[in-house]
Amino acid sequence: MENIKKLTQAYEQAPWRRQMYMIGVILLILVSAAIIAGIYLNVTARAAAVGRQIQEMQVRVYGYHYLTSDAGEVTVPIEELEQRIANLTSQLAILTSYKVMQERVKDLNLDPIEADHIEYIEVPGYIERQTTSLAPPPEPVVVNASAIDPQFKESLFEWVADQVQRTARYFSEVRP
Amino acid sequence: MRRYMAGQVVSAGRIRRKPPARETPDIPYSANEKAGQNLTGWRFNLLGILFLLAGAMIIIQLVRLQFSPERSEFVSQGELYSRTLHIFYPPRGDIYDRWGRLLAGSTLVYEVGAQVDNVENADTISFAISKVLSGHPEYDYPEYSDEIFSVIHRAEISGTAYVQLADFVTPEELAQLQDWARNYANLPDVDYGEAGRPSLDGLVYRPRLQRYYPENELGANVLGFVNREGTGMFGVEAEFNDLLAGAPLSVWMSLDPYQVTEIPQLKSGADLVLTIDREIQAAAEDVLNNALEESGADGGVILVMDPNTGEMLAIASTPRLNPNEYWNYANVFTDNTPYNRAVSQDYEPGSVFKVLTMAAALDDGAVTPDTEFVDTGSIQLGGITIRNWDWGAWGPQNMQGCLSHSLNVCLTWVATELGAGQFYRYMQNFGFGRTTGMDLAGEAPGRLKLPGDTDWFEAELGTNSFGQGIAVTPIQMVMAISSVANGKGEMMMPHVMRSMVRDGFQYTPTPQVIGKPISAETAHTLTELLARSLEGESSDALIDGYRVAGKTGTAEIATPTGYSTSETNASFVGWGPVDNPRFLVYVWLEKPQSSPWGSIVAAPVFADMVERLVVLMDIPPDGVLQGLADH
Repeated sequence: MENIKKLTQAYEQAPWRRQMYMIGVILLILVSAAIIAGIYLNVTARAAAVGRQIQEMQVRVYGYHYLTSDAGEVTVPIEELEQRIANLTSQLAILTSYKVMQERVKDLNLDPIEADHIEYIEVPGYIERQTTSLAPPPEPVVVNASAIDPQFKESLFEWVADQVQRTARYFSEVRP
Repeated sequence: MRRYMAGQVVSAGRIRRKPPARETPDIPYSANEKAGQNLTGWRFNLLGILFLLAGAMIIIQLVRLQFSPERSEFVSQGELYSRTLHIFYPPRGDIYDRWGRLLAGSTLVYEVGAQVDNVENADTISFAISKVLSGHPEYDYPEYSDEIFSVIHRAEISGTAYVQLADFVTPEELAQLQDWARNYANLPDVDYGEAGRPSLDGLVYRPRLQRYYPENELGANVLGFVNREGTGMFGVEAEFNDLLAGAPLSVWMSLDPYQVTEIPQLKSGADLVLTIDREIQAAAEDVLNNALEESGADGGVILVMDPNTGEMLAIASTPRLNPNEYWNYANVFTDNTPYNRAVSQDYEPGSVFKVLTMAAALDDGAVTPDTEFVDTGSIQLGGITIRNWDWGAWGPQNMQGCLSHSLNVCLTWVATELGAGQFYRYMQNFGFGRTTGMDLAGEAPGRLKLPGDTDWFEAELGTNSFGQGIAVTPIQMVMAISSVANGKGEMMMPHVMRSMVRDGFQYTPTPQVIGKPISAETAHTLTELLARSLEGESSDALIDGYRVAGKTGTAEIATPTGYSTSETNASFVGWGPVDNPRFLVYVWLEKPQSSPWGSIVAAPVFADMVERLVVLMDIPPDGVLQGLADH
């Protein structure tokens, strides 16, 4: 027993070393905590700054503007852009309105044509003017009448071909 | 207890040896050190207890607050300051004509107000706003400046944060205010006396969209308008208000920058594509204006329909309001005048109704085109004597003659041959006595008295057969006659909404057939009869190169003292080209002054309208079509 104690004492760290070790550990914890706190502060500060930026942009949408504020700001929220687009669309409609167009016709000394002055000619394949299409028609709902899932019917070869096609499509889509 | 004294020599191994655990070293302390140590320990203990107490009290208070009756109040106050409620209105959907020309869109306007705490000089603000907005119809009155000043003053006293001073301010007016504000901001910093430094500080604005109609009065009776509260009134705006307006969203916006609330992606209102053709609408309004000027009529309607689909290509009605200045509504529509006579005003149509009486009789087999009737100038029915428009006797007539000369006596006889039961069954099948279901707000149902009604008498059968004693709207007439005009006997639902654009897709409903009151054969026969009638009479409704069918109508107007002979409703209904009908035109002039007769005042209006229509619709003359077919 005495021998063991002696052996332990022989390999035991000196007190000053143990002290340094403890100090090192504590310092490491402190520095780590400081780094984490720093990173946290940095991230939260940036998040707060971005948050404020977003809030300021939101205020532009639903809040009030000062008369002397700078109108030529670079960043404009989508909603404000939509408002401007709607306004410009109306302005364009005014410029092409019936009354304005009639005035332009008058300025150009043009007269509306009368029925007996029109000459009609036969144009094979002529498609008459179609009414406006502002958007595509809704996609038809395809109801799969088959009760068996296609996965249970395809062969191994078909499955491989399908996978190859999907992969090729995937890469073609991600291409810039 | 063992002690090692200085100078005592011991082996190193003995010194390092750890003393037994039970042996506590007796450390010598002086009395002062002990006292100081006790004092320090006492102070630390006290401090610790104080901190402990403070902590405990905080915890107790926190727990108490959680269960206190004021908790909900504190929570609501906290929420009040941490977020604000905003209602987001989606942009109203646009309205287009059938070719995609914008009829109703949106434009930017501004709300101008004052943030009261930031106001430096209320006098300057009231002066500037009243001057800049002096051209604005809503703010063009002398007291406006004083009103602004008093509003700001009252807000300052009451502690109100924000007050609205003007709305619907145009971009040009706002630009002027901004110029004023910049000029005031650049003034030199000197003493301005009691009036204070002129400044527009505190004046703020907020942009928003307002409904705008680029065509002004054009098609106004169809479109309706959007009022100050953003609600659609009359016409398409009222009928499709929910679709156009979209669904507003209320959102609590957090003030905490870490919890920024996203502005919701609003589902904007649906866009509508109308069946109306802007050019045809403009032509119809122009023709109607000319007709009113020439005839001196009180009002009028011109309807243009595609009888194959029920699509309304034009609906012209008087009076018309510029929807951009909807506040003039009360000045324009006086004496209960409806916003759109075509759908909201019923009247006795007169002889144009004979088309339907004859259609019913031909379809039922009560008469054929060759059936002969000897007109003696009068007929007795239900105790009253019915006479022709000219009080004359026209002798033997076939059905074409009856229609050509518009003989009341003949049509009364035709109705009696048909029988009251069948006659009214046909009229109900034609849709009279109820609304058509057309997609325009404010439709009137008219009135069709039926046998069995307390106010129906046998004589009604006779008067109804030539369009008197029955109340119909022009749109009901157009719907009923579409069954004859399209040559298929199918009565088409009149409509103005061609398609709707929503969520990125354009939905186009198929034209609706309301019913088939007559057969295709009857429709063809009657069209031929009416075309020949016009040709036989050398009517003013005829157009060079195009064969059209039609019928005039002159109806006496009912007054509290009986029917007026001096005031009439003059009408004309016609369609063409007869071989391939593309249009159905209905003309109604109320109380024309130049002549009471439909054949004189309404028939030329039809011809004028069709002359423009064939150009606008690219309809070649019959001869050209025949030539191409032969080729």
